[in-house]
Amino acid sequence: MNETTQPQVFEMIAKSAKVDVATIKPESTLKDLGIASLDAIELIFDIEEHFNINFPEQQGANFDTDTAQSLVTAVQQALDAKAANGAEDK
Amino acid sequence: MGAVSALGIGAEALWDGLREGHSGIRALRHKDADRLRVKIAAQVPETFDPAATIDERMLPLLDRTSEFALCSAHEAIAQSGLDFKRGTLGARTAVIVGTGVGGETTQDEQSRRLYAENAPRTHPLTIVRLMTNASASQISIAYGLRGPTFAVASACASANHAIIQAAQTIRYGMADVAITGGTEACLTYGALRAWEAMRILSDDTCRPFSANRHGLVLGEGAGIFVLELLEHAQARGAVILAELAGSGMTADATDIVSPSADGAATAMTQALADAGLATTDVDYINAHGTGTPANDVTETHAIHLAFGDQARHLVVSSTKSMHGHALGASGALELVAVIGALRDGVVPPTANLDVPDPACDLDYVANVARQLPVRAALSNSFAFGGLNAVLALKRAP
Repeated sequence: MNETTQPQVFEMIAKSAKVDVATIKPESTLKDLGIASLDAIELIFDIEEHFNINFPEQQGANFDTDTAQSLVTAVQQALDAKAANGAEDK
Repeated sequence: MGAVSALGIGAEALWDGLREGHSGIRALRHKDADRLRVKIAAQVPETFDPAATIDERMLPLLDRTSEFALCSAHEAIAQSGLDFKRGTLGARTAVIVGTGVGGETTQDEQSRRLYAENAPRTHPLTIVRLMTNASASQISIAYGLRGPTFAVASACASANHAIIQAAQTIRYGMADVAITGGTEACLTYGALRAWEAMRILSDDTCRPFSANRHGLVLGEGAGIFVLELLEHAQARGAVILAELAGSGMTADATDIVSPSADGAATAMTQALADAGLATTDVDYINAHGTGTPANDVTETHAIHLAFGDQARHLVVSSTKSMHGHALGASGALELVAVIGALRDGVVPPTANLDVPDPACDLDYVANVARQLPVRAALSNSFAFGGLNAVLALKRAP
């Protein structure tokens, strides 16, 4: 796990929720933080752009109930997969 | 009626496919398919040949959206037997066509030329091809129809809103006949990318009301109808396919994408009242039924709100499971299904409903069509933007 991934993701979540980053807990869900529907989709887009990764399509269904930590894990998995494949972002 | 859809060319091909439970969802055909994440769609077959029905001098003026609309209009008008050159009929005929985005293929191609290829100019017919009213205008010109003519845009409810507007135009005495319906052809690289980004597309197929549903499958096509004042149709001995008996329109006024059961239920209740129907008169509802987690639960709740105990005595199906979500054309393709059900006493199924969802607790006619005399039916369309438009149909008098 890249140690900078979590702070970067938490910072982006805090910005979307308009709260202090210190209030973001690993177990906080986006829904708890008031990030729902289009806001969640926009946050996912921002994270994809920031890390130059793609989340798998089906992960979209449950973003509202995902926790902050599960997003960090998903980002790390996508970064690892990209490093392993040398895959171009597309 | 006339149609172009993933199930083939013509309203009969569409209805035959639906009642047989055939799916028009296939691997995406697109020159950029290898770059796209979306892999499936309900596309009009490659065999579609606009030149088979449209004057070749008109073809250069047409976006794919207008090709679909004109071919469907040709079929519907031929079936109606109306001759618009006779008397004042051309002046007394309206053309009101729904489309979500209009000439998207033209827009996408010309944008690519400008921004990707640094072309110094766009094609000179860009504007006349892409404007949202192009389909309505081209039908008007092709048949000399000089009554109220315009486009209606309300995303996925465009066709139903257009059909309702056409009916109101006749009710208010502004026309005796209206050519109406919806058309959409927006499976371009840009639009597909935009849909991907919303994370609302299914990766396997469209499974409305099924617990394993993943989202919607984009489609394309057109459905066009000849709407006629009842007395006008009876006086000339026309074969009447069905009676458009009433309609309801509401806005949720809540969220730009998340649906509301209250808004949808009120539109259904309005449609029943406008048509003079009791809840016990309705045997079938053609659902909006997109196959997204949110729509199908909310729509089920809305049907309970509008119909009370009667919700369990009628059947519901989503034909989007077969013709895909053709956006601004959806309500028109679904009206072909409703008219088929009223005429043949066969309710088309909801395909791919494999795993019952406890939150979707109505009779959805899973996977196989059902023989059932249908006296009256509703056709639901709900759009992004929180817009609801519901048609109430009765069997031909």
